[in-house]
Amino acid sequence: MTWKRKLFAAAAGALLAPVLVVVLPAATASAHGYVSDPPSRQANCKAGKVPNCGQIVYEPQSVEGPKGLRSCNAGLAQFAELTDESKPWPAKSVGTSVTFNWVFTARHATKSYEYYIGNTLIKSFDGNGQQPPATVQHTVSLAGYSGRVKVLAIWNISDTANAFYSCVDLQIGGGGGTTPPPTTTTPPPTTTRPPTTTPTTPPSSGTWAAGTAYKAGDVVTYSGASYRCLQPHTAIAGWEPPNTPALWQRQ
Amino acid sequence: MRVLLAVVALLLTGCGATAAPPAYNAADVMFLQMLIPQNQQGIEVVRLARDRQLPPALKELAAAIESTQLTEVDDMKRWLRDWAQPETMDMNPQAHAGHGGMKMTSPDLVGTLKTAPDAEFARKFLDVLTGQQQGAVELAQTETGTGGGVNAQARDLARRVIESRSAEVKQLLNFKA
Repeated sequence: MTWKRKLFAAAAGALLAPVLVVVLPAATASAHGYVSDPPSRQANCKAGKVPNCGQIVYEPQSVEGPKGLRSCNAGLAQFAELTDESKPWPAKSVGTSVTFNWVFTARHATKSYEYYIGNTLIKSFDGNGQQPPATVQHTVSLAGYSGRVKVLAIWNISDTANAFYSCVDLQIGGGGGTTPPPTTTTPPPTTTRPPTTTPTTPPSSGTWAAGTAYKAGDVVTYSGASYRCLQPHTAIAGWEPPNTPALWQRQ
Repeated sequence: MRVLLAVVALLLTGCGATAAPPAYNAADVMFLQMLIPQNQQGIEVVRLARDRQLPPALKELAAAIESTQLTEVDDMKRWLRDWAQPETMDMNPQAHAGHGGMKMTSPDLVGTLKTAPDAEFARKFLDVLTGQQQGAVELAQTETGTGGGVNAQARDLARRVIESRSAEVKQLLNFKA
């Protein structure tokens, strides 16, 4: 490289550098995931089944820490709620064979998946350093365990030092088991329903409100204007009538 | 090359004598260019719900996601046209590894769902869509975060994406498969 070219490259670098900071705003770890079913603690928090979960409701996929941890929160202070055994964590009733389902926001190269109860490795699955397939399910035998148990599911990433952690509370075999529940309250087994099946009374008029199930033809007011519903849906934040002309027609 | 164009555009505005803030910056452009394919993939996924046995409430949610994201795609394409910016960017996922990779579902994912037997479809559909919509939140957070976009419309879209996708994920996690 000639001196002139070097100078040009340096100048270009100096010019580009501050801009690149803008172009690449968040060079954060991108591989993210958690166990969706049986619902992990972060899934239950995100689903609104457990109150006062803190920051985890915004990013259930981000319980990331160095490999080798045995904690529900990957040692992250902002997710300390996940380790709070006094919370009323629902425990799904299962048999001794359990299929764990994962949700990913990015599927990055995987070293392995591990399932622990306490410090006992129950089962591991090799990721072969490959990108996970479209959906990941693992069937794990929990034979020998009964009653309430807490499974720690770990997704070990192959190209970083990190892993993602999901604690999954289970009630094995339904009956009282050898493992006593850590909490005083035993949540009822699986009585939750999709919010959309328990609509509030559909108003033919009224103020638009998130959480309300609207049917085509319903009329609401929003910011002083009147809108007619074009397509049945349950209203959510971000779907305000002025922003969703496919759902709402201004009258 | 696209980045370079954006840089040039940014430098030009940045070198302007007036103190008026730019209407948009490179982060706005990249946000829209990334959210368009992300939304389109999401639309592909939710359309698969039409012909499958799913709870009516889940089909309703899927249809509403489709409608709202189609509107968003139209808006985003129009804004990029108004800004004289390309709608698409370099589609090599590796080109964007630096900011978390392309937050889009790989084609094999849609294919896997398409071919999934009915008995497995609901579970896979929920997991794929949950990840897909949460990925949009991550993408939108780069727009609203430090060093993010400056365009008011794009930032408001990012706000709506964060709110709506978060609420959708909450609903999805409440469905049983």
